[in-house]
Amino acid sequence: MTDASLTVAATRPAKAPAAKFLSGAFVPRLIAGVTILALWEGVVRAFAPAYVAKPSGIVMAIPKVIVDPAFLNASFVTLSAVAQGLAIALVFGTMIGLLIGRSVVADRTLRHYVNGFYAVPMVVVLPLFSLWFGYSGATRLATIVFSSLFSIIVNVADGARAVPREYVEVSRSFRAGRISTLLEVVLPASMPYFLAGLRLAAGRALIGAVVAEFFTAIGGLGYFILYNSRTFHHNEAFVGVLLLAGFGVGFDMLVNGSIRRFMPWYRRDEAAS
Amino acid sequence: MRRELINRHAPFVLSLTAGMALWEVVGRYSSPAFMVPLSATLKKLWQLIIGGTLITQFLDSAALFLTGFVLALLIGMPLGLLLARVRGLRVGLEPYIMILYATPMVALIPFILSMMGFGFAPKVLVVFLFAVFPVLYNTIEGARSIKPELIEVARSFRSSEWSLWREVMVPYTLPYTMTGVRLAIGRGLVGMVAAEFFLSSTGLGQMIMTASQNFDTAGVFAAILVIALIGIAMMRLGRRIETHFARWRN
Repeated sequence: MTDASLTVAATRPAKAPAAKFLSGAFVPRLIAGVTILALWEGVVRAFAPAYVAKPSGIVMAIPKVIVDPAFLNASFVTLSAVAQGLAIALVFGTMIGLLIGRSVVADRTLRHYVNGFYAVPMVVVLPLFSLWFGYSGATRLATIVFSSLFSIIVNVADGARAVPREYVEVSRSFRAGRISTLLEVVLPASMPYFLAGLRLAAGRALIGAVVAEFFTAIGGLGYFILYNSRTFHHNEAFVGVLLLAGFGVGFDMLVNGSIRRFMPWYRRDEAAS
Repeated sequence: MRRELINRHAPFVLSLTAGMALWEVVGRYSSPAFMVPLSATLKKLWQLIIGGTLITQFLDSAALFLTGFVLALLIGMPLGLLLARVRGLRVGLEPYIMILYATPMVALIPFILSMMGFGFAPKVLVVFLFAVFPVLYNTIEGARSIKPELIEVARSFRSSEWSLWREVMVPYTLPYTMTGVRLAIGRGLVGMVAAEFFLSSTGLGQMIMTASQNFDTAGVFAAILVIALIGIAMMRLGRRIETHFARWRN
């Protein structure tokens, strides 16, 4: 999916009709957006009970919710836990990924475990983690790390494997040590894969944080949503969903933007292949 | 030949054995409330198989997963093709699809619970929501990358809209859709377990929940092991489907 989207995004601006197409995109988007909101509002008003979230209700709820200290606190707790967990997963994921990508022995011993854990639906470990770490923030952190670690390992390993052999040979012939080859040649060369892994990991980390809060009922954005929707404050709860969506989209854009800005060659290579 | 086989598979067998031994040893030396050895887990698993609970719960989960997943395919693929063909619609809807794709769908579970209650339908909806966006998104990507020349040639041979879809759009898009299908399998499984945890408790999810509520750690491990193995098998299946169709590309 990422490859395809990168390719398309790379080729599109190069085409001549692109400018015309972009300037014309705003109107259909606006129409579609308004239609969706109107449909949502209409259907809820006509068929659903009064507590169900609808656009007008959500807009009314926003000013109240975003100054609510409970909401601000919950958002801060969850988002900082996600950041912490991602940082831990990044450090260990990169190390293990580099190891697997550059060493045949490590690859053959660890690959199946990494792929295996990667394939496990992450929600499944919650009962176990809450048993091990208690009903506390530690369970959430562990879930976030577990959800995000393996996508980073897999992608960094792929990237380290895909480093052109000449790069490594050149650094060898300049008598670079193993470690400095790894850190100064292999790691930068596999940056695009690393960022692709990071983007996947961030999405999964967010899901991990929310399910951990649902499961253990520890305070945070997920619990804010759970609590408000249980007490039939759907409009307020939906503001939390909007923030989560915004965080997800924002992180995607950040990673895509930094690939475009700092690694323009990557997109061209992708388009050529 | 034989030697090559040994060389290739020995590290895997060795690391698997080492992992199993590690699990056994750690399990034996830690409190049974936190961790049970592999042997106890397998014994528990065997009991669950013999008693028939595993089979019934598995079938329950499978019905949920398949219903949601098939619905996601049946809606995601035609909708993706339609959006690719009708440009105005695609331009208008694309950003919203992107946003929904990046939104953690688990956050919607509490709303679904309080609106739809505890039946089978809300759980299917959860699996559907988890699985549909990868299919939709990748189908749009695939259909968009169809070379305009292909459609022009089909048009100049006076191909009807129907045969254009059948002979150009669908075959060209299918490999991309299958990438979406692989991603949807993984997400759908997460959705399945999440639905079984947080909506009405059934299937394999219920098996884990009851075991953990009864402090039956061996039961928890056995159920997690089963779901993990299903996850791995499904991932392989997804890969296989994807590479099978990938041969069509280019």
